[in-house]
Amino acid sequence: MILNLTLIIIILVGATPTLILILFLPALFELKKPKDAGPRMILNSIPEVKMLAMHVIPIANIEKEQKFDVSLIQTIVKIIEFLPRLEV
Amino acid sequence: MIIEALEAVFFFLTALMIAYLVRHYIFTLTVLRRAKKAKAVNVVSDAKYEPTVSVLIPARDEEKVIGRLLQRMAELTYPQDKLQVIVIDDASSDSTGRIADEHAGKYAFMEVLHRDKEDGGKGKPSAMNAGFKRATGEIVLCFDADYYPQKDIVEKLAKEFADPTVGAVQGRVVVLNEPQNMVTRLVALERIGGYRVDQEARDDLGLIAQFGGTVGGFRRSILESLDGWDESILAEDTDLTYRIYLKGFKVRYVGDAECYEEAVDNWKAYRQQRYRWARGHMQCCFKHSWKVLRSKNLRMKEKIDGLLLLNVYFMPLVVLASFIIGVPLIFFESSKLVGALWFSVPISFYSFVGNFAPFFEVGVGAYLDGRTRTQWLIPLLIFTFFYNIPICAKAFLDLLASKILRRNHSLWVKTSHLGNGNRYMVN
Repeated sequence: MILNLTLIIIILVGATPTLILILFLPALFELKKPKDAGPRMILNSIPEVKMLAMHVIPIANIEKEQKFDVSLIQTIVKIIEFLPRLEV
Repeated sequence: MIIEALEAVFFFLTALMIAYLVRHYIFTLTVLRRAKKAKAVNVVSDAKYEPTVSVLIPARDEEKVIGRLLQRMAELTYPQDKLQVIVIDDASSDSTGRIADEHAGKYAFMEVLHRDKEDGGKGKPSAMNAGFKRATGEIVLCFDADYYPQKDIVEKLAKEFADPTVGAVQGRVVVLNEPQNMVTRLVALERIGGYRVDQEARDDLGLIAQFGGTVGGFRRSILESLDGWDESILAEDTDLTYRIYLKGFKVRYVGDAECYEEAVDNWKAYRQQRYRWARGHMQCCFKHSWKVLRSKNLRMKEKIDGLLLLNVYFMPLVVLASFIIGVPLIFFESSKLVGALWFSVPISFYSFVGNFAPFFEVGVGAYLDGRTRTQWLIPLLIFTFFYNIPICAKAFLDLLASKILRRNHSLWVKTSHLGNGNRYMVN
């Protein structure tokens, strides 16, 4: 009976703090040196869509680029046309 | 005879606790299943619904935080010609009114209602009713002064009203000053469990999604028919939630409409806030329980969930009582069933933590949010649970005393905000 009582006391004194330590140790680590990324970032979906849209070339710019391409090609064609005359 | 009576009480209490546990397991599994489905099917709605919207911002001594919210209001992507922002300067003794006036001077869609010390300072519901009288929008949204929403939050909340059965909406609250200290970290965990799992599941299952008093709003016509906010109730948000459901409309939870809040950062402020919530919730329990049971507008599952939600602030007392009654039953000769039921007591003890979002809900919510380390703090929520026992007990006793003495001492204790969230703001 006395042995049993001693055993119970040893378990209570030894095991309870160990159990508590195991339970709370990770929490204490995280409190002492937080490694969590912090609060969730709230997202603004509409501005993001707008920002994405900015990366898409607007129609006006596409037309400008097309004009630029055509004029460049025309210039190159003219130079090529002129080259045989230089030989003479 | 006494033992048998105690056993009967113990059975009843454990049955209640098991009912809550089952309810929260269902919520958690629902959200997990939904998250799995959401990855597979991504529904995009292109329907455009842009009603006129009035935003009410009650503010009493909020000079540290009101400026950033009003700046945010100016940055909202909702068409400004359909927007009305009303700041209710509720008898502030600091420069809240001046800051609000400065913003109202810059933006035509903003206006300030100054309340003097005679009319104002009677609590948030009173301020909201004063602001509501000026509101002209078809939809009325509410934001507390310490909140900081997404730029497109009005679109996200307002679009739900395209469904005529929707009477109110609620967005998600995210704690801005989470890294500040242990209290803010634990409050953040409660919020994760409460919104990411609890609210989402209730909405998904067609149960009682709750309007939380801020980051949400109402259809104006319904709010008018309900005569606005009940100024005698401390949890005016829960009261309105039930009045809306009893009228035959529903509250939608919009999880992607997110807003930062500045959480309480010390135990005293935590106690005052939770006392107000607990007492207000208990007031609602007395006011609405019978109506919920008798309502013809509510389905059976809504009635059950509605009653469980109304009684949620009694749970810390129920768990405590089950412990006090259960311990002597172990030593006396009691039935085997008592021994078998004992397993539910410690589980419940650890489960009804924080804002009554059990630990497994908080863990799953944090996981779904993509958090990696904040889950490590979950065991600490046991302390907030222990803290909630005397808070809820005092709220109950005070309410009981006020009912017996027929004196309504529902004094609104405002949570003060020091602008500690400002340092975490990334713009």
